[in-house]
Amino acid sequence: MNEPGSDTETPPAAAPMPAARTGAGWRRDVWPGIHWIQELGGHRAGIARAVLESGADWYKPGNELYVPQNAYLLTGERTLLWDTLSPASGHILLPALEALLGDRPLDYLALSHPDVPHAGNTMQVLRRYPQCQLVAPAVGETHALYHLDDAMKVGPEDEIDLGGLRVRFPEATFLDAAIHTWMSEETTRTLFTVDWMGFPHQSGESLRRTDEIDTVVDVGRLEEFHSRVMFWFQYVHPHKVTAATDALAVQFAGYGLAPAHGLPIPGEDAAPYYERMNEVVRRVAAGGRGGVL
Amino acid sequence: MSVIDLGGGVSWVHESFPETNGHIHVSVYLVDAPEGAILMDSGSFHHRQRLADRIHDATAGRGIGAIILSHSDYPHSGNIPAFRRDWGDFEIIASCGDPDLQGLPYARRTKIGDVTEVLGRRFVVLDPPLADRNHTTWVYDEASRTLFVADGFGALHAPGASHVDWGRLPEEGRAEGVHEFHAQTLPWLRYADPDRVMGALHAMLEQHPPAWIAPIHGPPIAEPDIPRYMADLSNALTRIAASYPAQTPE
Ligand SMILES: [Fe+2]
Ligand SMILES: [Fe+2]
Ligand SMILES: [Fe+2]
Ligand SMILES: [Fe+2]
Repeated sequence: MNEPGSDTETPPAAAPMPAARTGAGWRRDVWPGIHWIQELGGHRAGIARAVLESGADWYKPGNELYVPQNAYLLTGERTLLWDTLSPASGHILLPALEALLGDRPLDYLALSHPDVPHAGNTMQVLRRYPQCQLVAPAVGETHALYHLDDAMKVGPEDEIDLGGLRVRFPEATFLDAAIHTWMSEETTRTLFTVDWMGFPHQSGESLRRTDEIDTVVDVGRLEEFHSRVMFWFQYVHPHKVTAATDALAVQFAGYGLAPAHGLPIPGEDAAPYYERMNEVVRRVAAGGRGGVL
Repeated sequence: MSVIDLGGGVSWVHESFPETNGHIHVSVYLVDAPEGAILMDSGSFHHRQRLADRIHDATAGRGIGAIILSHSDYPHSGNIPAFRRDWGDFEIIASCGDPDLQGLPYARRTKIGDVTEVLGRRFVVLDPPLADRNHTTWVYDEASRTLFVADGFGALHAPGASHVDWGRLPEEGRAEGVHEFHAQTLPWLRYADPDRVMGALHAMLEQHPPAWIAPIHGPPIAEPDIPRYMADLSNALTRIAASYPAQTPE
């Protein structure tokens, strides 16, 4: 999967974005053995305006505001790439992979879901690392419509031992596409929450964990993201969503959170985020969606 | 296999994909506009050649002049590059916050609430209560009163019934097809309040009364059949919600 509709015989021709928009790149060891590759996308002027109007104090006017895409490379004795960024960022992902892997092969490419901003460089990665095993969520009915029919399918019963790191594939509790999985890494105790627990960040905060920035990630900041991406919070019984969130807080107590569209949250700081998300749901259910991402 | 005329310059180019409990439409629609043919979504790569052939025939070789895209999901957007190779760099109209991230750097962006003109025909851009991706839009074609929708309003059908509109599907299994489709396609419905979703849909249908509801993932629903479809949908949403009880008491 590259840009929508590209097929294996037509390499994508996504133009590199201007350097100012792609300053993030990658970093080693956001946690031991977990490397982080980030695509910023462009400045989100509309969200920046909404943030300023809300009176939030975490955003400094004039800063660029980003809703990023994250991919994570896990390196045990074997290696696994989790997601691939959007089709606009093959020029970030592939050099980052080459720098992080060196002479090592990429053993697995695991897709959280076949959404364009997550799976956008799948074909390029598989062409660059032809021995790599494609891993896809087992759940869902239409894998063949995404070129995923031949992938190794994983679900909550499965574990991949990377040698030093062990990944599992818990059910995606909050999701968009039906073909979808979350992932956990059990030695570092990290939960990869894909489209959930995202939030915008600003200039100077790219490739930082939440414990490495000076600003707070409060309910309003989480709401800016989820009131757009989880637009369907406006149609829910909030108590059903908060019950599912509370269950996650128990099941993954102490786990760090590594979202696809926010900054990673260390495990010792994660607990209050679940309650913040419950407040986000109540607000969106009462007030409606915030717009479109 | 030709296209099916729904009247008002709209035709259904139906394609289906086999699933465990029935077949799912992954269809597109052609709309005749004063300045050319508009394709609603582009279909899946899986059906590329057949779609291209049928569109070629239906447009007497002229091909398409624009695509209005419901969302970037691959089974909807998958043929855009190939069709642009076939028929030139025609306009892509899509709603999303950042077209680059969706692999559509060349798209013209629309927003929910817009009334947009495409090849001389007017479309109202609507906020879909039944979608998977947040950037999804539905459009209402004022001239034909057709409401084009994805992913909601789908229905699975039995093999062999892929060319039949929803009201003419055999009654046995028809409601189940509505349930099964929404249960598997829109996982968030497990958390939904069916009344809120149905309320939003009823409000939309009242404001934009359709002669046809034209889903990508189901057979078209004719105006006289809409009340029955809505009743089946309401039951389906209630069943889906009931199958995921809250994990702790309220
Ligand atoms: Fe997604
Ligand atoms: Fe996402
Ligand atoms: Fe979809
Ligand atoms: Fe779809």
